[in-house]
Amino acid sequence: MNKLRINSVLKKDVLIIGAGGAGLRTAIEILAGKPDTTIVAVTKVSSPQKSHTTTAQGGFAAVNPKDPIDKPIYHMFDTWKGSDCSSDQNVIKKIIDSAWEQTLWLDNHGLHFTRNEEGRFSKRTFGGHTLEFGEGPSAFRAVFEADRTGKGIMDTVWGESLKGNVSFINQSIATELIFKDERCIGAIIFEETRGQFTAVLAKATVISTGGLGQVYKITTNCRQNTGDGLALVLREGLPVMDLEAVQFHPTGIVGPGILASEALRGEGGFLLNKNMERFMEQYAPKMKDLAPRDMVSRSIETEIREGRGVINPDHNLPHVWLDIRHLSDYVHDVKLQEITGFFKKFAGIDPKKNLCPVRPTVHYQMGGIPTNEFGEAQKSADKIVPGLYAVGESASASFQGFNRLGTNSLLELFTMGKFVGDRVSEYLRDADDPGDLPKDAGEKSISLFSKYFEAKGSENLWKIREIMRELMTEKVGVFRNEKLLNEAINQLMDLKERSIHIKLSSSSLIMNQELVDRWELDNLLDVATVIAHGAINRKESRGAHTREDYPERKMDYNYHTLAYMQEYGKVALGKRSIDMSIFEEKNRDYKHFDFVARKY
Amino acid sequence: MGKLHSLTLKIHRYDPEQKKSWVQEYEINVGGMLRFTDVLRKINQEQDSGLAWISSCEHAQCGSCGVVVNGKPLLMCELLVQNAVKQFKTTTFTLKPLSIAPVLRDLIVDLEKAYERVHKAKPYVIKLADPSPEGDEHRIPPRIMEHYVEATRCINCFCCAEACISSHRHFLGPNAMLVNIVRLFDPKEAAKKERLDILYADNGVARCHTSEACSFVCPKQIDVAHFIALAKEGKF
Repeated sequence: MNKLRINSVLKKDVLIIGAGGAGLRTAIEILAGKPDTTIVAVTKVSSPQKSHTTTAQGGFAAVNPKDPIDKPIYHMFDTWKGSDCSSDQNVIKKIIDSAWEQTLWLDNHGLHFTRNEEGRFSKRTFGGHTLEFGEGPSAFRAVFEADRTGKGIMDTVWGESLKGNVSFINQSIATELIFKDERCIGAIIFEETRGQFTAVLAKATVISTGGLGQVYKITTNCRQNTGDGLALVLREGLPVMDLEAVQFHPTGIVGPGILASEALRGEGGFLLNKNMERFMEQYAPKMKDLAPRDMVSRSIETEIREGRGVINPDHNLPHVWLDIRHLSDYVHDVKLQEITGFFKKFAGIDPKKNLCPVRPTVHYQMGGIPTNEFGEAQKSADKIVPGLYAVGESASASFQGFNRLGTNSLLELFTMGKFVGDRVSEYLRDADDPGDLPKDAGEKSISLFSKYFEAKGSENLWKIREIMRELMTEKVGVFRNEKLLNEAINQLMDLKERSIHIKLSSSSLIMNQELVDRWELDNLLDVATVIAHGAINRKESRGAHTREDYPERKMDYNYHTLAYMQEYGKVALGKRSIDMSIFEEKNRDYKHFDFVARKY
Repeated sequence: MGKLHSLTLKIHRYDPEQKKSWVQEYEINVGGMLRFTDVLRKINQEQDSGLAWISSCEHAQCGSCGVVVNGKPLLMCELLVQNAVKQFKTTTFTLKPLSIAPVLRDLIVDLEKAYERVHKAKPYVIKLADPSPEGDEHRIPPRIMEHYVEATRCINCFCCAEACISSHRHFLGPNAMLVNIVRLFDPKEAAKKERLDILYADNGVARCHTSEACSFVCPKQIDVAHFIALAKEGKF
């Protein structure tokens, strides 16, 4: 076997781990302030353009402050209520107040927004977005680029980072953070294509590694979304927050779980059960099919449980129908071109003529690495880690609380990207050079990889991964209870034990996918365990976290869960309070920002 | 379950350490609704964990999993087994890596290298024509956007570049041309002269032989050749 060692050391001002929409928006903002800043961005994919941001479809919410009908404060309220009163109000205010300005930034940097006859942005509506604090009709608030808005954002920030000379290390993973005293001064990177470890020393390090959807069996998330950034901080003894809040998107295309955007319902599509009943009327009499995602997912699961789902003998997965047959050809062929194409390609269905089979699929993590409103990573509820930042889906500031509204993720990633960029720029002004590579840097990575190569036994890497994904789906899914969660925790302990006996088939370091898959398995097991522990501890139902044994939201749990796990299975839990600053300011509409009831 | 298909896959492999190439055969029974990415995953799980290939989004939005199947460049993630059997009229499939960049291992090529050509076409607004009106968006009528918006759907999977009959060494490639052509149409782009220089450079559209192979293979069904034809005529 090749001897494992740190092959090279690279020094930059800023290291960005994860070159998706959030990470690169951060990079561009830093360069806007100081163009000669040296930035290196590490990405798991073969080019930043391949990042998962590129698959986002529907759009993002942005209220023009001059809009005669819609108001930013309505959007703030919807986000607060949608989160089941568990996002942080300082963050809500900051993001939504900057939404329009940042949208214009994208327009000025080349994003091809879909436009109406006047040449202005077209808008569409999404679940949970309303006028007049939920009293009025649905708000047409989301701007978009057809049904490939994420691609528009990704292409824009990727292009701008090329222009700004960000350097990229593609097809690489971050295996360890480097610290000097308490300060983060970079990370150890494993470059897959060269089969080498590189230590990147940086004044500031930004984690923007995206989601954890691969923990579950059916997900809209790409193959790379294995919770890497979360596992990375957990191993350093740092916390993650609210991981029990996992969003199930109600309409995944049955089979592969590919996302069928909420825009389909925003444009007028609706759900039907086996008896051709528009069942959402029962669950959300006012918003119906445009209730927030957690409610629609629960409603679909309930329909299926009570025998009103449809079973297709081909794959045996129960589902419901989405009906978009009545939408115009223009909507089918132009506005929702990609998605209608997915139904044709992956399900063999023509949505103009046929009902579309859909079911809930894991889509998004509301939680993540806890940060303050500037994206500074926290080691506890009130202490930050100097030099370390987190942004995008891997971070939790928290804008999304326990349930995210459609369109709020893209909005979060580029607005927070800007704010984090600003904060990093400020930090760089006085930040000391990180100096030499600390002696013990890299030891953890080398010992971890050595263990993978030295392991003997007959366990199958893929089988363990599949068992984990199935058990998480069955026991830590849309509906949870004490018994199932306990079983899940025990099984996860067992799987970790079994994973020690996985033997790799090759000892090669170059482009060894199996090695990366092995590393990902550890990350997946780590985050799965933290999700399960967070879920069993939270004896209430809030947003996407639904406990059958505790169906109500409880005042006692009005806090964010902080979870630490340096040693596998030993989870320590803490709390971070929910920021209520809009409520506490006691301005005109403050009463809407109390712990309001959540009816749609 | 639907019908099972018995497939024979002949996969071109390469070991970078031994610098050795060979073709390996796999026999596998799979359902018709599985995608080729699922099939390779199954081979990893059941037969050969060392077979290397890459993918990411697995629904034809990122363009990571391009390979050549029975001579046709395509995305493995959107090739359903039942469609492949129908389309190629066989159950034997030869999988080769794309030839547009050096092979790293098995089916994985150095896309970073391939992307250098896209970078040369500057995938961004070089110079903004006019900033949007104060506090407002640019006014761009939909009929102007209609001319080029289809071309913005390109995901740089390099299937068109693979199929193109012009040499990779001399032509930046159809996808790189699209990047440039989009901004020639885009009213937000001011640097039209620089764009035209890229277009008509020695490695630009003049290298195109109008085989229309690009349009034929494009997984996004973009009529790439149409845009290149417009560019040749200078119709922006």
